[in-house]
Amino acid sequence: MIPSQYQPPLPLDRLLIKQGSEGAGDSMELDVLFVGAGPAGLAGAIELARLAKADPAVGELNIGVLEKAEALGEHSLSGAVVNPIALRELFPDLTDKDLPLRGRVEHEAVYVLTSGSALRIPTPPTMKNHGNYVGSICEIVRWLGQQAEALGVNVFTGFPAAALLTDGNRVAGVRTAATGLGREGQPLPSYSAPNDLTAKVTALSEGTRGLLSQAWLQWQGVQSPNPQIFALGVKEIWGTKRPLDRVIHTLGWPLPGDAFGGSFCYPLAPNLVALGMVVGLDYRNASLDVHVMVQRLKGHPLVRPYLEGGEMVEWGAKTIPEGGYYALPERRSGDGVVLVGDAAGFVDVPSLKGIHYAMHSGIYAARTIFAALKAGDTGAAALAPYDRLVNESSIAHDLYRTRNMRLAFKHGFTAGGFQAGLMTLTGGRFPGGRYTMHADADAVRREEADGAFTPDGKLTFSKVDGVFKSGNTTRDTIPTHLVTGRDVPADVARFYSHVCPAGVYEEVDGRLRVNAPNCVDCKATDVLGPRWTPREGGSGPKYKRM
Amino acid sequence: MSNVLAILEQRDGTLRKVSHEVVTGARRLADALGGEVHALVCAAGPVSGLDAAGRHGADKVITVTKAAFGHYAPEGYARAIAERAQAGGYGAVVCAASAQGKDLSPRIAARLGRPLAADITDLTVDGGAVVVTRPVYAGKALLKVKVAATPAVLSLRPNVFTAVERPKAGAAESVAATGDGGRVVVKGIKAAVAGALDVAEAPIVVSGGRGLKEPANFKMLEDLAQAFGGRAAVGASRAVVDAGWRPHGDQVGQTGKTVSPSLYIAVGISGAIQHLAGMRTAKVIVAINKDKDAPIFKIADYGIVGDLFEIVPRLTEEIRKLNG
Amino acid sequence: MKIAVCIKRVADSETRVKIAADGKSLDEAGVKFILNPYDEFAVEEALRRKEQAGAGEVVVIACGSGASQETIRTALAMGADRGVLLETAAVPADGLSVARALAAELNDGGYDLVLFGKMAIDDYNHQVGPMTAELLGLPCVTCVAHLDLTAGKGTAEREVEGGMEEVEFPLPAVLTVDKGLNEPRYPALKGIMAAKKKPLEVKPTTLGAPGLEVLAMTPPPERKEGRIVGEGAAAIPELLKLLREEAKVL
Repeated sequence: MIPSQYQPPLPLDRLLIKQGSEGAGDSMELDVLFVGAGPAGLAGAIELARLAKADPAVGELNIGVLEKAEALGEHSLSGAVVNPIALRELFPDLTDKDLPLRGRVEHEAVYVLTSGSALRIPTPPTMKNHGNYVGSICEIVRWLGQQAEALGVNVFTGFPAAALLTDGNRVAGVRTAATGLGREGQPLPSYSAPNDLTAKVTALSEGTRGLLSQAWLQWQGVQSPNPQIFALGVKEIWGTKRPLDRVIHTLGWPLPGDAFGGSFCYPLAPNLVALGMVVGLDYRNASLDVHVMVQRLKGHPLVRPYLEGGEMVEWGAKTIPEGGYYALPERRSGDGVVLVGDAAGFVDVPSLKGIHYAMHSGIYAARTIFAALKAGDTGAAALAPYDRLVNESSIAHDLYRTRNMRLAFKHGFTAGGFQAGLMTLTGGRFPGGRYTMHADADAVRREEADGAFTPDGKLTFSKVDGVFKSGNTTRDTIPTHLVTGRDVPADVARFYSHVCPAGVYEEVDGRLRVNAPNCVDCKATDVLGPRWTPREGGSGPKYKRM
Repeated sequence: MSNVLAILEQRDGTLRKVSHEVVTGARRLADALGGEVHALVCAAGPVSGLDAAGRHGADKVITVTKAAFGHYAPEGYARAIAERAQAGGYGAVVCAASAQGKDLSPRIAARLGRPLAADITDLTVDGGAVVVTRPVYAGKALLKVKVAATPAVLSLRPNVFTAVERPKAGAAESVAATGDGGRVVVKGIKAAVAGALDVAEAPIVVSGGRGLKEPANFKMLEDLAQAFGGRAAVGASRAVVDAGWRPHGDQVGQTGKTVSPSLYIAVGISGAIQHLAGMRTAKVIVAINKDKDAPIFKIADYGIVGDLFEIVPRLTEEIRKLNG
Repeated sequence: MKIAVCIKRVADSETRVKIAADGKSLDEAGVKFILNPYDEFAVEEALRRKEQAGAGEVVVIACGSGASQETIRTALAMGADRGVLLETAAVPADGLSVARALAAELNDGGYDLVLFGKMAIDDYNHQVGPMTAELLGLPCVTCVAHLDLTAGKGTAEREVEGGMEEVEFPLPAVLTVDKGLNEPRYPALKGIMAAKKKPLEVKPTTLGAPGLEVLAMTPPPERKEGRIVGEGAAAIPELLKLLREEAKVL
């Protein structure tokens, strides 16, 4: 089975709307709009607000940040061990102690697991975290949002961007999603119409698998050498009885040999542990289920002793763009628009880092936008310097060095590990050239039983329990926001039921059933099957310390 | 030694059952304080069932009468009770945290210039001071609070202080209230439509999940609810509501309704945390499920493992017999 | 119509309650704070009444820490005209001390209507509204689920056991509102922008000594592990016996 055969196309007719089209309630004019209050968008907004304050040439700037979550950080999820370099650069007057980070990484260990044992291996050079900090992206985003608001940036939470407003080839702004619709799409008493926000520049900082970013790239025919590929991370936070004093990464079990990924275990505090697994979505077994793997991982003798007697306090899931250098769009700027952060694919898989690249790209975008505003021209040529800034920065440099490393694993772990080692030694010069890659949805799957799994409610949990712990309180009566293909056969429906960590999809009597309110916006099936579109603001998870 | 004033409730001239709980709580407090319980009810005339106050431990039973006191008269009641509390030098004033008591007790407290410990679930006396327990954050934590004022004004959460018979003299006294009924006038009570019992309010909830296999089978649960003689409502899990088998208003769970009936019967519901969040405060939980590993059995007080299609009709029959 | 709405900043209902190191309060780390949901109904009702009257002012008043300014801004974003924060170090368990501070602020304010939520979802106190009314000497109806106002008077319905109580009252009055009264609006984008520029007065306030002293906050007792009574219909007689004799619910 090839997933792409059952995947509906991106609904471009809904995602691109001519500016001034009917259907909007309020409209609002801004100078610059960031779509998505993650580290990229907020760092960009902060840098831009500062530039405007320091140089009165363009007068007071009206800067907005749109966020679909009900409150700042509630849709943000990352591991995370954070390289603090971008935070330091953005806040040069603060010491590390004042930054929204948890503990500094003092000890780290990498293991290769079998089902019953753990073999410690030397930490691969790309994975060394000396000088980095454990952090919660929810906390980082909340803090960045406060800094932005203090600088006069308008942060609008609870407003998902649903479409790009277009004017010829120019991006003129976005239209938000309506709220208060019933299951059949009919307006309820609480209905409020979409809003149009127009801006001289729209910065798409939507995060992983951004909807409008995809729409813009497709609309403008912007290519990349390889298609973007993704991994799915499923993560839990545990209050533990036993403290954890180091950062742990594992490879191997419970992953099959033909899948790429691993697990992580980070102490947010000694007795507050973040753990999870990240698995590339090009795996072959259609029955592979990342949520179930995390449940199995917790039973491993390396992990279990920490968790026993503890309590799972939060659960979440999110995809990660893993394509690296060769999956970057050939340009990340256009007429009235730039792409920043995960939306552009600025993630370095071998070092498991993306947050500081996201922030850096936001900062570069802000500098370019400010210069363009000053020059009174926000056209494609005026915003192109953003691409140059990124290309000359550590973002492109770091991603280039590891350009083929993730791709080497497409034929399995052993061959990949060997090649990746050589790549590290040669700074990416071995073997040269470019490894080609299929889109995840084009990878052939076969259904192989993966063993039964029954949660015990103490150490292991069902997907529905996970959704509860994600804080998801989406109104049950909203219209479905997921676009499925027609006539999905039973095996594909089962495949979706395993791909989705939140139990949105089920195969019932040979047919696909969609429990849309469960969705936690991880975008995994947007990569492999049914398309994700935004629903009313405030829907989805409410992550607190992810 | 100080006495306790217990505030009773009547509706249409009949003592309400919650008053037994108030007297029971007041009795416990009076015993600890070494005083008497004086029960007080505001009414238009004699109240039937008032003898129960003596049976549950009231030394004295005072009826404060006024024509305007037939229905609840918020301002008139509050004034009459506050005056009595002040004149009698009581150590505590105890109300029910019922619909009426929640309205009345803050008024009494404000008139007395004393704080109110509302909706309490336990009380003790420690070194002469009243110490109460009250749930906060939707029952996710309990607060232990010392009431540093006399009289201590308390309201008791209904269904917690189980009425206990502790016969005392129950000497009857009747006084006419001074002043008027007040500016806020209750015109009457519109009875809830029969049969339209909401799951959030029903004392008994029978809930069904996907184990029922198809919407038509909910008829079995409706029959079981009926057997309880109008005291039960039918609820549903999110899965069956999502599937369109039951209306959204019936959904019990985190994104549906939170219920705390005295009896919750979960039929064919596996027990996702989402669902448990909506019913875990039920007093007694019964689960019927064919899967003995279903998480619902971990929270249920009593479980029956087996085929619900066999069990539910038999249970309905037995309940019908019980309720004649 | 000049309407005051008294609001409170509370921990979100989804908050996972962790007890702070002092053993007496909520550990606020990572807790999301929101406008008390019942107060949202009050704000909405005030806005609708003002809109119907075609003129007037909606003033939101909160008593609490400086962070309550954010909560007031939410109400301003919904459409209220101005805000007042009675700034205190903390909100005590004792509703009467809060009611006194609010009454002092409301007194002589010339309000036609003072609205509250029926209770706050953190302390479940259910009392500040009617206490404030008593201190102000104003008529008060609590838990209003349906409301009609005409010149100088109003009728309300409030839920009681087994029905709806119909109540008449004169204006000005204090009302505490229940859910079902209306469907609160979401703040609009323009409302959020406008809220930043609306007046918000912060008045440092000292509350009187509280009459309630919190001794401890504890987690609720764990539910006892249940038991399987038996298998199949054969277990029904035993189940009924337990429900009748042990659980006493039949």
